[in-house]
Amino acid sequence: MTTTSTTANSPNKTPRRSSASASTIGGGYQLEVANLTKRYGDAVVVDDLTFSVPPGRVTGFLGPNGSGKSTTMKIMLDLASASEGHATIGGRRYRDLANPARTVGAIIESDAFHPGRSGRNHLQILADATGCNYARVDEMLEEVGLIDAANRRAGAYSLGMRQRLGLAAAMLGEPPVLILDEPGNGLDPQGIRTLRDLLRSHASSGGTVLVSSHLLAEVEHLADDVIVINQGRLVVQGALDDLQQSAALVRTTDPDLLARQLERAGATAERQDDDGLIVHGISLAEIGAHAFTAGLVVHELSPHAGSLEQLFLSWTTDSETTEEVIEL
Amino acid sequence: MTMTRLIRAELRKLTSTRMPWAFLLVLLTIAAINAFAVIAGTDFDGSKGFISTEADQQSLVAFAANGFILAALFGAIAVAREYGHHTVVPTFLASPKRHRAVLAQLTAVATNGAVLSLVGAGLTIAALALSLPTTEYNFLISANHVAQILAASAFAGGAGAILGAGIGAVVRNVGGAVTGAVLALIVGPPLVVQLANGTASWMPNVLATVLAGVGNDVSTPAAVGALAIWGLVPAVVGVLAVERRDVV
Repeated sequence: MTTTSTTANSPNKTPRRSSASASTIGGGYQLEVANLTKRYGDAVVVDDLTFSVPPGRVTGFLGPNGSGKSTTMKIMLDLASASEGHATIGGRRYRDLANPARTVGAIIESDAFHPGRSGRNHLQILADATGCNYARVDEMLEEVGLIDAANRRAGAYSLGMRQRLGLAAAMLGEPPVLILDEPGNGLDPQGIRTLRDLLRSHASSGGTVLVSSHLLAEVEHLADDVIVINQGRLVVQGALDDLQQSAALVRTTDPDLLARQLERAGATAERQDDDGLIVHGISLAEIGAHAFTAGLVVHELSPHAGSLEQLFLSWTTDSETTEEVIEL
Repeated sequence: MTMTRLIRAELRKLTSTRMPWAFLLVLLTIAAINAFAVIAGTDFDGSKGFISTEADQQSLVAFAANGFILAALFGAIAVAREYGHHTVVPTFLASPKRHRAVLAQLTAVATNGAVLSLVGAGLTIAALALSLPTTEYNFLISANHVAQILAASAFAGGAGAILGAGIGAVVRNVGGAVTGAVLALIVGPPLVVQLANGTASWMPNVLATVLAGVGNDVSTPAAVGALAIWGLVPAVVGVLAVERRDVV
Protein backbone atom coordinates (compact mmCIF):
# COMPACT_ATOMS: atom_id res chain seq x y z
CA MET A 1 0.00 0.00 0.00
CA THR A 2 1.46 3.32 -0.99
CA THR A 3 0.32 5.60 1.73
CA THR A 4 2.07 8.58 3.14
CA SER A 5 2.10 8.75 6.87
CA THR A 6 0.83 11.73 8.76
CA THR A 7 2.14 13.20 11.95
CA ALA A 8 -0.84 15.20 13.11
CA ASN A 9 -2.83 13.84 16.02
CA SER A 10 -5.87 16.02 15.58
CA PRO A 11 -9.04 14.42 14.25
CA ASN A 12 -8.86 17.07 11.53
CA LYS A 13 -5.51 15.93 10.33
CA THR A 14 -4.84 15.51 6.66
CA PRO A 15 -6.20 12.29 5.21
CA ARG A 16 -3.74 9.88 3.72
CA ARG A 17 -3.68 8.90 0.10
CA SER A 18 -5.78 5.99 -0.97
CA SER A 19 -4.38 2.57 -1.51
CA ALA A 20 -6.27 2.63 -4.79
CA SER A 21 -3.19 4.19 -6.31
CA ALA A 22 -1.22 1.07 -5.63
CA SER A 23 -3.05 -1.26 -7.91
CA THR A 24 -5.12 -1.38 -11.00
CA ILE A 25 -8.84 -1.48 -10.35
CA GLY A 26 -10.33 -4.19 -12.46
CA GLY A 27 -13.61 -4.30 -14.22
CA GLY A 28 -13.68 -1.27 -16.46
CA TYR A 29 -17.28 -0.52 -15.49
CA GLN A 30 -19.05 1.94 -17.75
CA LEU A 31 -22.09 3.68 -16.34
CA GLU A 32 -24.99 4.13 -18.74
CA VAL A 33 -28.08 6.20 -18.20
CA ALA A 34 -30.64 5.77 -20.98
CA ASN A 35 -33.76 7.87 -21.48
CA LEU A 36 -34.15 8.24 -17.75
CA THR A 37 -37.26 10.04 -16.56
CA LYS A 38 -38.46 10.51 -13.00
CA ARG A 39 -41.78 12.08 -12.12
CA TYR A 40 -43.17 12.95 -8.73
CA GLY A 41 -46.82 13.57 -9.45
CA ASP A 42 -46.92 16.20 -12.17
CA ALA A 43 -43.37 17.36 -11.52
CA VAL A 44 -40.74 15.99 -13.90
CA VAL A 45 -37.48 15.90 -11.94
CA VAL A 46 -35.43 14.00 -14.52
CA ASP A 47 -36.48 14.32 -18.13
CA ASP A 48 -35.36 11.79 -20.75
CA LEU A 49 -31.76 11.92 -19.56
CA THR A 50 -29.13 9.96 -21.45
CA PHE A 51 -25.40 9.92 -20.80
CA SER A 52 -22.53 7.56 -20.19
CA VAL A 53 -19.60 7.63 -17.80
CA PRO A 54 -16.48 5.83 -19.01
CA PRO A 55 -13.99 4.03 -16.78
CA GLY A 56 -10.56 5.47 -16.27
CA ARG A 57 -11.80 9.04 -16.09
CA VAL A 58 -13.28 11.37 -13.51
CA THR A 59 -16.62 12.67 -14.66
CA GLY A 60 -18.10 15.76 -13.03
CA PHE A 61 -21.87 15.83 -12.77
CA LEU A 62 -23.02 19.42 -12.66
CA GLY A 63 -26.24 21.30 -12.50
CA PRO A 64 -27.99 23.99 -10.47
CA ASN A 65 -29.74 23.08 -7.23
CA GLY A 66 -32.80 20.99 -7.95
CA SER A 67 -31.66 20.07 -11.44
CA GLY A 68 -32.03 16.34 -10.78
CA LYS A 69 -28.43 15.27 -10.08
CA SER A 70 -29.12 13.55 -6.78
CA THR A 71 -32.27 11.90 -8.07
CA THR A 72 -30.35 10.55 -11.06
CA MET A 73 -27.67 9.13 -8.77
CA LYS A 74 -30.30 7.55 -6.52
CA ILE A 75 -31.91 5.88 -9.51
CA MET A 76 -28.51 4.60 -10.65
CA LEU A 77 -28.15 3.01 -7.21
CA ASP A 78 -31.70 1.62 -7.08
CA LEU A 79 -32.57 3.83 -4.14
CA ALA A 80 -35.30 5.37 -6.26
CA SER A 81 -37.23 3.92 -9.16
CA ALA A 82 -37.28 5.42 -12.63
CA SER A 83 -40.59 6.39 -14.20
CA GLU A 84 -39.06 5.56 -17.58
CA GLY A 85 -35.67 4.52 -18.87
CA HIS A 86 -32.95 2.78 -16.95
CA ALA A 87 -29.42 3.03 -15.60
CA THR A 88 -26.78 0.33 -15.71
CA ILE A 89 -23.36 -0.22 -14.20
CA GLY A 90 -21.15 -2.35 -16.38
CA GLY A 91 -24.23 -3.37 -18.33
CA ARG A 92 -26.22 -4.50 -15.29
CA ARG A 93 -28.67 -2.76 -13.05
CA TYR A 94 -27.36 -2.06 -9.57
CA ARG A 95 -29.65 -4.60 -7.95
CA ASP A 96 -28.39 -7.28 -10.33
CA LEU A 97 -24.70 -6.81 -9.50
CA ALA A 98 -23.17 -9.80 -7.75
CA ASN A 99 -21.84 -7.76 -4.85
CA PRO A 100 -23.20 -4.26 -5.37
CA ALA A 101 -21.66 -2.49 -2.39
CA ARG A 102 -18.22 -3.81 -3.31
CA THR A 103 -18.69 -2.83 -6.95
CA VAL A 104 -19.95 0.68 -6.33
CA GLY A 105 -18.92 2.97 -3.51
CA ALA A 106 -21.37 5.78 -2.97
CA ILE A 107 -21.95 8.93 -1.02
CA ILE A 108 -25.58 9.92 -1.33
CA GLU A 109 -26.43 11.38 2.07
CA SER A 110 -23.50 13.05 3.80
CA ASP A 111 -24.96 12.32 7.22
CA ALA A 112 -26.00 8.70 6.70
CA PHE A 113 -24.91 7.53 10.13
CA HIS A 114 -26.39 7.35 13.62
CA PRO A 115 -25.03 10.29 15.65
CA GLY A 116 -24.70 8.11 18.74
CA ARG A 117 -22.60 5.50 17.00
CA SER A 118 -18.83 5.77 16.72
CA GLY A 119 -17.13 6.16 13.37
CA ARG A 120 -15.49 2.77 13.83
CA ASN A 121 -18.80 1.07 14.63
CA HIS A 122 -20.40 2.71 11.60
CA LEU A 123 -17.76 1.23 9.32
CA GLN A 124 -17.83 -2.13 11.10
CA ILE A 125 -21.55 -2.37 10.39
CA LEU A 126 -20.85 -1.71 6.71
CA ALA A 127 -18.04 -4.26 6.81
CA ASP A 128 -20.46 -6.80 8.28
CA ALA A 129 -23.04 -6.09 5.60
CA THR A 130 -20.62 -6.14 2.69
CA GLY A 131 -18.31 -8.90 3.83
CA CYS A 132 -15.23 -6.73 4.22
CA ASN A 133 -12.45 -7.64 6.58
CA TYR A 134 -12.49 -5.64 9.82
CA ALA A 135 -8.84 -4.75 9.22
CA ARG A 136 -10.05 -2.71 6.28
CA VAL A 137 -12.06 -0.53 8.69
CA ASP A 138 -9.01 0.78 10.50
CA GLU A 139 -7.16 1.04 7.21
CA MET A 140 -9.82 3.36 5.85
CA LEU A 141 -10.07 5.34 9.09
CA GLU A 142 -6.31 5.83 8.82
CA GLU A 143 -6.53 6.86 5.18
CA VAL A 144 -9.18 9.52 5.72
CA GLY A 145 -7.49 10.83 8.87
CA LEU A 146 -10.14 9.73 11.36
CA ILE A 147 -8.26 7.02 13.21
CA ASP A 148 -7.82 9.13 16.33
CA ALA A 149 -11.52 9.99 16.37
CA ALA A 150 -12.64 6.47 15.50
CA ASN A 151 -14.24 5.76 18.87
CA ARG A 152 -15.91 9.14 19.21
CA ARG A 153 -19.61 9.53 18.50
CA ALA A 154 -20.06 10.47 14.86
CA GLY A 155 -22.62 13.07 15.92
CA ALA A 156 -19.75 15.06 17.44
CA TYR A 157 -17.80 15.11 14.17
CA SER A 158 -17.39 18.31 12.19
CA LEU A 159 -18.92 18.51 8.72
CA GLY A 160 -15.54 17.79 7.18
CA MET A 161 -15.03 14.76 9.40
CA ARG A 162 -18.48 13.48 8.45
CA GLN A 163 -17.57 13.80 4.80
CA ARG A 164 -14.40 11.84 5.44
CA LEU A 165 -16.38 9.16 7.22
CA GLY A 166 -18.69 9.02 4.20
CA LEU A 167 -15.70 8.73 1.91
CA ALA A 168 -14.24 5.96 4.06
CA ALA A 169 -17.57 4.14 3.88
CA ALA A 170 -17.69 4.52 0.10
CA MET A 171 -14.15 3.22 -0.32
CA LEU A 172 -14.42 0.46 2.28
CA GLY A 173 -15.14 -2.34 -0.16
CA GLU A 174 -12.45 -1.22 -2.61
CA PRO A 175 -15.08 -0.71 -5.30
CA PRO A 176 -14.10 -0.07 -8.93
CA VAL A 177 -16.93 2.46 -9.30
CA LEU A 178 -17.46 5.58 -7.22
CA ILE A 179 -20.69 7.59 -7.34
CA LEU A 180 -20.33 10.55 -5.04
CA ASP A 181 -22.88 13.28 -4.43
CA GLU A 182 -21.19 16.47 -3.25
CA PRO A 183 -18.25 14.75 -1.53
CA GLY A 184 -16.34 18.01 -1.16
CA ASN A 185 -18.92 19.76 1.02
CA GLY A 186 -17.37 20.95 4.23
CA LEU A 187 -13.86 19.76 3.45
CA ASP A 188 -11.01 22.09 4.19
CA PRO A 189 -8.51 22.88 1.39
CA GLN A 190 -6.29 19.98 2.43
CA GLY A 191 -9.25 17.66 2.45
CA ILE A 192 -10.31 18.90 -0.99
CA ARG A 193 -6.84 18.28 -2.32
CA THR A 194 -6.72 14.81 -0.83
CA LEU A 195 -10.14 14.02 -2.26
CA ARG A 196 -8.95 15.20 -5.65
CA ASP A 197 -5.81 13.07 -5.45
CA LEU A 198 -7.79 10.08 -4.30
CA LEU A 199 -10.36 10.30 -7.08
CA ARG A 200 -7.76 10.97 -9.76
CA SER A 201 -5.73 8.05 -8.49
CA HIS A 202 -8.84 5.87 -8.55
CA ALA A 203 -9.60 6.83 -12.15
CA SER A 204 -6.03 6.45 -13.32
CA SER A 205 -6.09 2.92 -11.92
CA GLY A 206 -9.02 2.11 -14.20
CA GLY A 207 -11.85 2.98 -11.84
CA THR A 208 -14.99 4.83 -12.83
CA VAL A 209 -15.76 8.05 -10.98
CA LEU A 210 -18.94 10.10 -11.19
CA VAL A 211 -18.89 13.03 -8.82
CA SER A 212 -21.42 15.79 -8.44
CA SER A 213 -20.40 19.10 -7.00
CA HIS A 214 -21.44 22.70 -6.93
CA LEU A 215 -17.80 23.69 -6.31
CA LEU A 216 -16.93 24.47 -9.91
CA ALA A 217 -13.33 25.32 -9.22
CA GLU A 218 -12.94 21.92 -7.58
CA VAL A 219 -14.48 20.17 -10.57
CA GLU A 220 -12.29 22.18 -12.94
CA HIS A 221 -9.23 20.76 -11.21
CA LEU A 222 -10.64 17.29 -10.83
CA ALA A 223 -12.77 16.24 -13.77
CA ASP A 224 -11.73 14.90 -17.15
CA ASP A 225 -15.28 15.02 -18.43
CA VAL A 226 -18.39 16.86 -17.38
CA ILE A 227 -22.07 16.18 -17.69
CA VAL A 228 -24.27 19.21 -17.13
CA ILE A 229 -27.98 18.97 -16.54
CA ASN A 230 -30.59 21.63 -15.97
CA GLN A 231 -34.25 21.13 -15.09
CA GLY A 232 -33.66 17.40 -15.34
CA ARG A 233 -32.45 17.53 -18.94
CA LEU A 234 -29.02 17.06 -20.41
CA VAL A 235 -27.41 20.36 -21.36
CA VAL A 236 -23.93 19.32 -22.32
CA GLN A 237 -21.52 16.44 -21.92
CA GLY A 238 -18.00 15.94 -23.05
CA ALA A 239 -14.34 16.31 -22.24
CA LEU A 240 -13.82 19.37 -20.08
CA ASP A 241 -10.80 20.54 -22.08
CA ASP A 242 -12.79 20.41 -25.31
CA LEU A 243 -15.70 22.24 -23.80
CA GLN A 244 -13.46 24.93 -22.39
CA GLN A 245 -11.85 25.39 -25.80
CA SER A 246 -15.16 25.48 -27.63
CA ALA A 247 -15.36 29.28 -27.59
CA ALA A 248 -13.46 31.76 -29.76
CA LEU A 249 -12.08 35.23 -29.11
CA VAL A 250 -12.29 37.64 -32.00
CA ARG A 251 -11.13 41.26 -32.05
CA THR A 252 -12.31 43.45 -34.86
CA THR A 253 -12.91 47.04 -35.82
CA ASP A 254 -16.69 46.78 -35.42
CA PRO A 255 -17.56 44.06 -32.90
CA ASP A 256 -21.25 45.01 -32.77
CA LEU A 257 -21.65 44.50 -36.52
CA LEU A 258 -19.82 41.20 -36.39
CA ALA A 259 -21.90 40.09 -33.38
CA ARG A 260 -25.10 40.70 -35.34
CA GLN A 261 -23.70 38.75 -38.30
CA LEU A 262 -22.69 35.83 -36.13
CA GLU A 263 -25.98 35.73 -34.22
CA ARG A 264 -27.84 35.59 -37.52
CA ALA A 265 -25.69 32.57 -38.28
CA GLY A 266 -26.83 30.90 -35.04
CA ALA A 267 -23.82 31.68 -32.85
CA THR A 268 -23.85 33.47 -29.52
CA ALA A 269 -21.52 36.39 -29.04
CA GLU A 270 -20.81 38.51 -26.01
CA ARG A 271 -18.71 41.67 -25.83
CA GLN A 272 -15.25 41.43 -24.31
CA ASP A 273 -13.32 44.66 -23.73
CA ASP A 274 -13.64 47.42 -26.38
CA ASP A 275 -13.11 45.45 -29.55
CA GLY A 276 -13.48 41.82 -28.55
CA LEU A 277 -16.19 39.20 -28.76
CA ILE A 278 -16.44 35.78 -27.13
CA VAL A 279 -18.22 33.56 -29.60
CA HIS A 280 -19.85 30.17 -29.01
CA GLY A 281 -21.38 27.75 -31.43
CA ILE A 282 -19.40 28.42 -34.58
CA SER A 283 -15.95 27.52 -35.85
CA LEU A 284 -12.98 29.84 -36.19
CA ALA A 285 -13.10 29.50 -39.97
CA GLU A 286 -16.75 30.48 -40.09
CA ILE A 287 -16.10 33.50 -37.87
CA GLY A 288 -13.33 34.57 -40.21
CA ALA A 289 -15.60 34.12 -43.21
CA HIS A 290 -18.38 36.20 -41.67
CA ALA A 291 -15.93 38.97 -40.80
CA PHE A 292 -14.59 38.92 -44.37
CA THR A 293 -18.13 39.08 -45.80
CA ALA A 294 -18.88 42.07 -43.55
CA GLY A 295 -15.70 43.76 -44.68
CA LEU A 296 -14.28 43.93 -41.19
CA VAL A 297 -10.62 44.00 -40.23
CA VAL A 298 -9.83 41.21 -37.78
CA HIS A 299 -7.07 41.89 -35.26
CA GLU A 300 -7.26 38.58 -33.46
CA LEU A 301 -9.08 35.29 -33.95
CA SER A 302 -8.18 32.53 -31.51
CA PRO A 303 -9.66 29.71 -29.41
CA HIS A 304 -10.86 31.01 -26.06
CA ALA A 305 -10.51 28.93 -22.94
CA GLY A 306 -13.40 29.88 -20.72
CA SER A 307 -13.52 29.09 -17.03
CA LEU A 308 -15.89 26.34 -16.01
CA GLU A 309 -17.86 28.87 -14.04
CA GLN A 310 -18.42 31.02 -17.12
CA LEU A 311 -19.38 28.00 -19.15
CA PHE A 312 -21.64 26.63 -16.44
CA LEU A 313 -23.52 29.90 -16.17
CA SER A 314 -23.92 30.15 -19.92
CA TRP A 315 -25.18 26.55 -20.06
CA THR A 316 -27.63 26.78 -17.20
CA THR A 317 -29.06 30.28 -17.33
CA ASP A 318 -30.75 29.93 -20.71
CA SER A 319 -34.49 29.69 -20.49
CA GLU A 320 -34.52 26.77 -22.86
CA THR A 321 -32.38 23.74 -22.13
CA THR A 322 -30.43 22.78 -25.18
CA GLU A 323 -28.29 19.76 -25.66
CA GLU A 324 -24.74 19.90 -26.82
CA VAL A 325 -22.68 16.77 -26.96
CA ILE A 326 -19.01 16.78 -27.72
CA GLU A 327 -17.76 13.39 -28.73
CA LEU A 328 -15.09 12.08 -26.41
CA MET B 1 -24.84 -10.89 0.20
CA THR B 2 -25.61 -13.57 2.73
CA MET B 3 -28.41 -13.16 5.22
CA THR B 4 -25.99 -14.02 8.01
CA ARG B 5 -23.89 -10.96 7.21
CA LEU B 6 -26.92 -8.72 6.98
CA ILE B 7 -28.28 -10.00 10.29
CA ARG B 8 -24.86 -9.52 11.91
CA ALA B 9 -24.81 -5.93 10.65
CA GLU B 10 -28.30 -5.30 11.98
CA LEU B 11 -27.43 -6.78 15.37
CA ARG B 12 -24.39 -4.54 15.56
CA LYS B 13 -26.54 -1.54 14.69
CA LEU B 14 -28.83 -2.27 17.60
CA THR B 15 -26.06 -2.86 20.09
CA SER B 16 -23.77 0.02 19.10
CA THR B 17 -25.95 2.83 20.41
CA ARG B 18 -27.27 3.66 23.86
CA MET B 19 -30.82 2.60 23.09
CA PRO B 20 -30.58 -0.90 24.63
CA TRP B 21 -29.18 0.66 27.80
CA ALA B 22 -32.11 3.06 27.96
CA PHE B 23 -34.51 0.15 27.71
CA LEU B 24 -32.53 -1.76 30.32
CA LEU B 25 -32.99 1.21 32.62
CA VAL B 26 -36.73 1.00 32.04
CA LEU B 27 -36.66 -2.72 32.88
CA LEU B 28 -34.72 -2.06 36.07
CA THR B 29 -37.25 0.60 37.02
CA ILE B 30 -40.15 -1.79 36.49
CA ALA B 31 -38.39 -4.44 38.57
CA ALA B 32 -37.69 -1.90 41.30
CA ILE B 33 -41.34 -0.82 41.35
CA ASN B 34 -42.35 -4.47 41.71
CA ALA B 35 -39.89 -4.95 44.57
CA PHE B 36 -41.19 -1.81 46.28
CA ALA B 37 -44.76 -3.08 45.89
CA VAL B 38 -43.81 -6.38 47.52
CA ILE B 39 -41.96 -4.68 50.38
CA ALA B 40 -44.35 -1.81 51.06
CA GLY B 41 -47.64 -2.77 49.43
CA THR B 42 -50.63 -4.35 51.13
CA ASP B 43 -54.15 -5.40 50.24
CA PHE B 44 -57.11 -3.35 51.42
CA ASP B 45 -57.20 -5.42 54.61
CA GLY B 46 -53.60 -4.58 55.39
CA SER B 47 -52.32 -8.06 54.62
CA LYS B 48 -49.95 -9.17 51.91
CA GLY B 49 -52.44 -11.53 50.36
CA PHE B 50 -51.37 -10.49 46.86
CA ILE B 51 -48.21 -12.59 47.27
CA SER B 52 -49.58 -15.37 49.41
CA THR B 53 -49.95 -18.07 46.76
CA GLU B 54 -47.95 -19.28 43.77
CA ALA B 55 -50.68 -17.98 41.43
CA ASP B 56 -50.51 -14.54 43.07
CA GLN B 57 -46.75 -14.37 42.74
CA GLN B 58 -46.91 -15.67 39.17
CA SER B 59 -49.37 -12.91 38.26
CA LEU B 60 -47.06 -10.33 39.75
CA VAL B 61 -44.09 -11.38 37.62
CA ALA B 62 -45.92 -12.36 34.42
CA PHE B 63 -43.92 -9.92 32.32
CA ALA B 64 -45.01 -11.02 28.84
CA ALA B 65 -47.66 -8.32 28.37
CA ASN B 66 -45.24 -5.59 29.44
CA GLY B 67 -42.53 -7.19 27.32
CA PHE B 68 -44.77 -7.11 24.26
CA ILE B 69 -45.39 -3.37 24.58
CA LEU B 70 -41.82 -2.44 25.49
CA ALA B 71 -40.41 -4.53 22.65
CA ALA B 72 -42.90 -2.95 20.24
CA LEU B 73 -41.63 0.49 21.23
CA PHE B 74 -38.06 -0.77 20.87
CA GLY B 75 -38.77 -2.14 17.38
CA ALA B 76 -40.58 1.00 16.27
CA ILE B 77 -37.74 3.26 17.38
CA ALA B 78 -35.01 0.95 16.05
CA VAL B 79 -36.46 0.83 12.54
CA ALA B 80 -37.89 4.34 12.23
CA ARG B 81 -34.61 5.94 13.29
CA GLU B 82 -32.91 4.16 10.38
CA TYR B 83 -34.89 6.40 8.08
CA GLY B 84 -34.46 9.49 10.21
CA HIS B 85 -30.68 9.11 10.25
CA HIS B 86 -30.54 7.85 6.63
CA THR B 87 -28.68 4.74 7.76
CA VAL B 88 -31.03 2.74 5.54
CA VAL B 89 -29.11 4.18 2.59
CA PRO B 90 -25.94 2.11 3.16
CA THR B 91 -28.15 -0.80 4.19
CA PHE B 92 -30.03 -0.80 0.89
CA LEU B 93 -26.82 -0.12 -1.04
CA ALA B 94 -25.42 -3.30 0.48
CA SER B 95 -28.65 -5.15 -0.20
CA PRO B 96 -30.61 -3.55 -3.05
CA LYS B 97 -33.03 -6.47 -2.89
CA ARG B 98 -34.63 -4.68 -0.02
CA HIS B 99 -36.83 -7.45 1.34
CA ARG B 100 -33.65 -9.29 2.34
CA ALA B 101 -32.39 -6.28 4.27
CA VAL B 102 -35.76 -5.82 5.96
CA LEU B 103 -35.95 -9.50 6.88
CA ALA B 104 -32.48 -9.23 8.42
CA GLN B 105 -33.64 -6.14 10.28
CA LEU B 106 -36.77 -7.91 11.53
CA THR B 107 -34.70 -10.88 12.67
CA ALA B 108 -32.30 -8.66 14.59
CA VAL B 109 -35.06 -6.56 16.11
CA ALA B 110 -37.03 -9.66 17.11
CA THR B 111 -33.94 -11.16 18.74
CA ASN B 112 -33.26 -7.97 20.66
CA GLY B 113 -36.92 -7.63 21.61
CA ALA B 114 -36.97 -11.21 22.90
CA VAL B 115 -33.79 -10.67 24.90
CA LEU B 116 -35.05 -7.39 26.36
CA SER B 117 -38.32 -8.98 27.41
CA LEU B 118 -36.53 -12.01 28.79
CA VAL B 119 -34.21 -9.79 30.80
CA GLY B 120 -37.23 -7.81 32.00
CA ALA B 121 -38.91 -10.98 33.20
CA GLY B 122 -35.70 -12.18 34.83
CA LEU B 123 -35.22 -8.87 36.64
CA THR B 124 -38.82 -8.86 37.81
CA ILE B 125 -38.55 -12.41 39.13
CA ALA B 126 -35.25 -11.57 40.80
CA ALA B 127 -36.78 -8.47 42.36
CA LEU B 128 -39.60 -10.59 43.78
CA ALA B 129 -37.19 -13.19 45.09
CA LEU B 130 -34.99 -10.53 46.72
CA SER B 131 -37.88 -8.62 48.27
CA LEU B 132 -39.86 -11.57 49.63
CA PRO B 133 -37.55 -12.08 52.66
CA THR B 134 -38.92 -8.77 53.99
CA THR B 135 -42.33 -10.44 54.20
CA GLU B 136 -43.59 -13.64 55.81
CA TYR B 137 -43.87 -15.38 52.45
CA ASN B 138 -41.36 -17.46 50.54
CA PHE B 139 -40.75 -17.62 46.83
CA LEU B 140 -43.50 -20.01 45.74
CA ILE B 141 -43.23 -20.11 41.95
CA SER B 142 -42.11 -23.52 40.70
CA ALA B 143 -39.16 -23.90 38.35
CA ASN B 144 -41.52 -24.96 35.56
CA HIS B 145 -43.60 -21.84 35.97
CA VAL B 146 -40.52 -19.66 36.07
CA ALA B 147 -39.45 -21.24 32.81
CA GLN B 148 -42.92 -20.65 31.35
CA ILE B 149 -42.87 -16.98 32.38
CA LEU B 150 -39.43 -16.51 30.84
CA ALA B 151 -40.37 -18.30 27.62
CA ALA B 152 -43.64 -16.37 27.33
CA SER B 153 -41.80 -13.10 27.86
CA ALA B 154 -39.20 -13.91 25.23
CA PHE B 155 -41.83 -14.90 22.69
CA ALA B 156 -44.00 -11.88 23.41
CA GLY B 157 -40.93 -9.63 23.19
CA GLY B 158 -40.01 -11.03 19.79
CA ALA B 159 -43.53 -10.63 18.46
CA GLY B 160 -43.87 -7.14 19.88
CA ALA B 161 -40.56 -6.06 18.37
CA ILE B 162 -41.65 -7.28 14.94
CA LEU B 163 -44.92 -5.40 15.30
CA GLY B 164 -43.05 -2.21 16.22
CA ALA B 165 -40.55 -2.72 13.41
CA GLY B 166 -43.39 -3.05 10.91
CA ILE B 167 -44.93 0.18 12.14
CA GLY B 168 -41.52 1.86 12.01
CA ALA B 169 -40.96 0.75 8.42
CA VAL B 170 -44.33 2.11 7.35
CA VAL B 171 -44.20 5.39 9.27
CA ARG B 172 -40.41 6.05 8.91
CA ASN B 173 -40.43 8.65 11.65
CA VAL B 174 -39.56 7.92 15.28
CA GLY B 175 -42.26 10.10 16.82
CA GLY B 176 -44.87 8.80 14.43
CA ALA B 177 -43.82 5.19 14.88
CA VAL B 178 -43.93 5.40 18.68
CA THR B 179 -47.33 7.06 18.46
CA GLY B 180 -48.47 4.33 16.10
CA ALA B 181 -47.27 1.61 18.45
CA VAL B 182 -49.00 3.24 21.43
CA LEU B 183 -52.22 3.58 19.44
CA ALA B 184 -52.01 -0.03 18.27
CA LEU B 185 -51.28 -1.56 21.67
CA ILE B 186 -52.56 0.76 24.38
CA VAL B 187 -55.27 2.97 22.93
CA GLY B 188 -56.64 0.74 20.20
CA PRO B 189 -57.40 -2.58 21.95
CA PRO B 190 -59.84 -1.21 24.57
CA LEU B 191 -61.73 0.60 21.81
CA VAL B 192 -61.89 -2.54 19.70
CA VAL B 193 -63.10 -4.58 22.69
CA GLN B 194 -65.87 -2.07 23.30
CA LEU B 195 -66.93 -2.04 19.67
CA ALA B 196 -66.70 -5.77 18.94
CA ASN B 197 -67.92 -8.39 21.39
CA GLY B 198 -65.71 -11.40 21.93
CA THR B 199 -62.50 -9.73 20.86
CA ALA B 200 -61.10 -9.21 24.37
CA SER B 201 -59.53 -12.67 24.44
CA TRP B 202 -57.51 -11.85 21.33
CA MET B 203 -55.93 -8.63 22.51
CA PRO B 204 -52.15 -8.89 22.98
CA ASN B 205 -52.12 -8.28 26.73
CA VAL B 206 -54.62 -11.11 27.28
CA LEU B 207 -52.76 -13.44 24.92
CA ALA B 208 -49.53 -12.68 26.77
CA THR B 209 -51.05 -13.59 30.13
CA VAL B 210 -52.24 -16.89 28.65
CA LEU B 211 -48.70 -17.65 27.51
CA ALA B 212 -47.35 -16.73 30.94
CA GLY B 213 -49.73 -19.21 32.57
CA VAL B 214 -51.86 -16.68 34.42
CA GLY B 215 -54.80 -16.58 32.02
CA ASN B 216 -56.93 -19.14 30.22
CA ASP B 217 -59.05 -17.11 27.84
CA VAL B 218 -57.77 -19.11 24.86
CA SER B 219 -55.60 -22.18 24.46
CA THR B 220 -51.82 -21.78 24.55
CA PRO B 221 -51.35 -22.72 20.86
CA ALA B 222 -54.06 -20.24 19.89
CA ALA B 223 -52.35 -17.56 21.99
CA VAL B 224 -49.01 -18.30 20.30
CA GLY B 225 -50.56 -18.06 16.86
CA ALA B 226 -52.58 -14.95 17.59
CA LEU B 227 -49.67 -13.09 19.16
CA ALA B 228 -47.50 -14.04 16.19
CA ILE B 229 -50.15 -12.64 13.85
CA TRP B 230 -50.21 -9.41 15.83
CA GLY B 231 -46.51 -9.07 15.06
CA LEU B 232 -46.43 -10.43 11.53
CA VAL B 233 -49.24 -8.41 9.94
CA PRO B 234 -47.55 -4.99 10.46
CA ALA B 235 -44.21 -6.57 9.55
CA VAL B 236 -45.52 -7.82 6.19
CA VAL B 237 -47.06 -4.41 5.50
CA GLY B 238 -43.70 -2.87 6.37
CA VAL B 239 -41.81 -5.14 3.97
CA LEU B 240 -44.23 -4.34 1.15
CA ALA B 241 -43.99 -0.61 1.84
CA VAL B 242 -40.20 -0.68 1.82
CA GLU B 243 -40.14 -2.63 -1.46
CA ARG B 244 -42.45 -0.17 -3.19
CA ARG B 245 -41.21 3.20 -2.02
CA ASP B 246 -38.17 5.24 -2.95
CA VAL B 247 -35.67 5.15 -0.10
CA VAL B 248 -34.81 8.82 0.09
